[in-house]
Amino acid sequence: MSGLSTAAQEAIDAIEAGPQGPSVGAFFDLDGTLVAGYTAATFYGDRLKGREVSPAEFLRTVVTAVDGELGGDPTRIAHVAFSAMRGQSEDSFADLGDRLFRSKIAGTIRRESRALVHAHQRAGHTVAVASAATKYQIAPVARDLGVEHLVCTQLVVEDGQFTGATDGPMLWGRHKASGVRAFAREHAVDLTDSYAYGNGYEDVAFLSSVGHPTALNPHRDLRAAAARLGWPVLDLSDPVGGSLVAAGRTAAALAGMNTGVVAGLTYGLLRRDGKEGRNLAVKLATQLPMTLAGVTMDVQNRERLWTHRPAIFVANHQSALDIPVLGNLLERDFTIVAKKEARWDPRAVVGSVVIDPAYIDRSDSASARATLDGVVERIRSGTSLMIFPEGTRSATPVLGPFRKGAFHLAAQAGVPVVPVVLRNTGELMRRNSLVLNPGVVDVCVLEPETDWNEDDMSERIAALHAKFEQTLAKWPSGASA
Amino acid sequence: MSAREDFERWGGAATFGAAPELTSMQTLMWRAERHPVQSSTSTVIIDLDRAPDWKRFVAATEWGTGLVRRLRQRVVDPVVPTAPPTWADDPTFDLGYHLRREHVSTREEMLAHAAQMALRPFDRSRPLWEGVLFEGLPEGAAYVLKIHHALADPLGTVQLLSMLQSGKRAHTARKPLGESVAEPGADPVDLAVTGLRTDVATLPDAARASVRTLAHAATRPQAVVASSLRYGASVRRMLTQVARPSPELSPRTGKKWTFLTLDAPLEPLRTVARQGGGTLDDAAVALVLGGLGRYHAARESRVHEIPVGVRVSLDRADDLGNRFAGAIISAPLEIGDPVDRVAAVRGEVLSLHTERALEVLDAAAPALNRMPAFVGASALRTAAVPDAFVLTLPGPPRRRYMAGAEVQGMYVLGPLPGAALTVCLVTVGDTACIGVNVDASAVADVDELRACLAEAVEEMTAAGNAG
Repeated sequence: MSGLSTAAQEAIDAIEAGPQGPSVGAFFDLDGTLVAGYTAATFYGDRLKGREVSPAEFLRTVVTAVDGELGGDPTRIAHVAFSAMRGQSEDSFADLGDRLFRSKIAGTIRRESRALVHAHQRAGHTVAVASAATKYQIAPVARDLGVEHLVCTQLVVEDGQFTGATDGPMLWGRHKASGVRAFAREHAVDLTDSYAYGNGYEDVAFLSSVGHPTALNPHRDLRAAAARLGWPVLDLSDPVGGSLVAAGRTAAALAGMNTGVVAGLTYGLLRRDGKEGRNLAVKLATQLPMTLAGVTMDVQNRERLWTHRPAIFVANHQSALDIPVLGNLLERDFTIVAKKEARWDPRAVVGSVVIDPAYIDRSDSASARATLDGVVERIRSGTSLMIFPEGTRSATPVLGPFRKGAFHLAAQAGVPVVPVVLRNTGELMRRNSLVLNPGVVDVCVLEPETDWNEDDMSERIAALHAKFEQTLAKWPSGASA
Repeated sequence: MSAREDFERWGGAATFGAAPELTSMQTLMWRAERHPVQSSTSTVIIDLDRAPDWKRFVAATEWGTGLVRRLRQRVVDPVVPTAPPTWADDPTFDLGYHLRREHVSTREEMLAHAAQMALRPFDRSRPLWEGVLFEGLPEGAAYVLKIHHALADPLGTVQLLSMLQSGKRAHTARKPLGESVAEPGADPVDLAVTGLRTDVATLPDAARASVRTLAHAATRPQAVVASSLRYGASVRRMLTQVARPSPELSPRTGKKWTFLTLDAPLEPLRTVARQGGGTLDDAAVALVLGGLGRYHAARESRVHEIPVGVRVSLDRADDLGNRFAGAIISAPLEIGDPVDRVAAVRGEVLSLHTERALEVLDAAAPALNRMPAFVGASALRTAAVPDAFVLTLPGPPRRRYMAGAEVQGMYVLGPLPGAALTVCLVTVGDTACIGVNVDASAVADVDELRACLAEAVEEMTAAGNAG
């Protein structure tokens, strides 16, 4: 299975079958289209938390918002917000945008919207985010999606500070449409061949500027208009937020993990076979919680997990869920390398007792080297190693650069590298989240790579990184791939 | 070859307006009429290549009124508005009252006469049309037909005329005739009593429906409140969120009508429409905006956008459809590129489809009809008034004749219900015939406006031919 809904897959197929090249534009609205919810609300929530909002401003904002809902001018609320930013430094606001992106907004990017963006990018289309939002909200999202162009509301900055005014109109409704038309003229984009995706009732003019409009998760009034106008409607799944049920399941999963560990170790003690006990504990500790949390796996090329042991398994890292998933996949005779700080992470502490990880102290390179020498010994004696070469979890499914450590170990120990691509663990358990949501994890095991040495290591790592990216961009369909 | 087509068309004309009662909308227009400020008449000017033989012209019109019964009928209003007004044969019908000829020496004179004719109210106790054949024009002749909305709206008028015209210059003998049914004359008191009786009979049904609605509201108050709020918000948006009227197009009295006519080749207009992703309707609005933009610039008046009344299909966004609503858009006045202007207009028009209140007038009409006439009139006036109305109408696709004279152009001049100008574009063969009714009290320099509109036509044509 591709992991995309049929409708989304059909839309992507149509893009692939349609005209290619930069004269075709693809314009994506931000709020409610690329991301679920409103980025402005995230920014405002942050200001509220920081007590930066005076009661008078709060009242004004609420009144304006309600008035906008009741048929008043809906853009006035934005102008209230812009004028409140007067005197604030642009740099600090851009930093805030980056921070909020990592902590909150990154997790709200719809996976299928990302797939649509990437499909347009593969077709060589000129992709742009077209939104009434400001670039401080949009730029981090666009950067993450690899989108170069922004068509958005510009704020006036003088001496590095906002004046509270906008440069030109707020790109809402008709102004967004004319912004897109102006962009098309500048970039020689043919609008009749172009695509636009929007969700708001104000997006009709924007959508009607192109030959291929799509109402994406539309607001009820846009849905009605799309039906009348004969425009396709695409309903994409939202990133799962932690529901109460999911939270309950997570608690059960944690309990299940502990039960599994205890049961496995007890078995080991009774049978006086520590290693078997550990293996059983891993099996129970990873399977029980995943079953309880409603997480299943769809694995392609599962046999490659067993053909080259001992080996170094490298995987991309988006979520705390990656560890139980990989534990479940590798099943037995493996360990991990973890940073020293992770030893006391409550989510890992029970598991760490079991798989006996090699902890490295990143601040002390001598001790790190000593630890790694010990790891090489353990690998040679038959214990496989699981490493996340990105080093740290990424906020989004975009792949970070690979560090070399894992590959040095492969060369030193003389074992192969088995690449494991995980697709959507980040959606089931978001970065910085303690809540696990039910769903299917897509796993693809790539061709194992042998004979690592220092000479061509950089090139091979780059090639492997590219393979990961390709696999993530275009998920192989079916078990035969 | 065209003879058969003619017969088919004439057969269609015989069934025109067969319903005995006025529809809700027609009733509203009938009762709300305060000519000419709240007028419901349209005037059609038909350019002919020569003056037709007067006897033959009268005979043809006589035949037409026999075929289309409505042209010999008058509206009978019940004494109290318990029922819609009804059509009834006018026993005193006299073609001589409705059709006459006049002599003029220039087209301008003819247009001035036509405007004066349009400004005069109808005798509401007679069939609601009046035709004048203007002879003596250097280009030939012109037939001016004034018709009430209750009889036919502008679209219906053009359709009716297209149906009645002939495909050939020669006379057709033995033309089909409508069945002459002797209808009993309707009596205003009878009508009121019958209407009241029907109302009483349907009262239990109406009551049951109300009870159901109330029960629904009581069991699901949140949904009902939310839905009402959304509807209210939509109404408010439709009525308030439009551009302010241009100060350059005031003061409007609605009592000084000036008629202008313009021609544009149709194909380039369609090309520009296609390039901007719009329809011919959108191109027509864009053309008018081009002219008004120039006019404002010439008068050194800086206005970014003006309210323009357009017709929106309630069924689909396509040109064709049976249900239309009038709505007002904020139309940009300062977009230079014609294609871009079409795209902007298109966006505004399509955006109306998100408004659940689009059908508000449609939905309100049946209720309004039951109120005394002045309430209906004020209800029609509550809607914001645009600076201009723009309407596109399909005319005959190919050459037509009237009593041996070839039709050269067909222009519809609509009323001015509060607007500074009403523009109708009629497609006649490969030409767009544009009729503009201008409130001369609001437009300080009508000649300048005429020149600006002509420039806009040239600009659109050039853009269409280039693309």
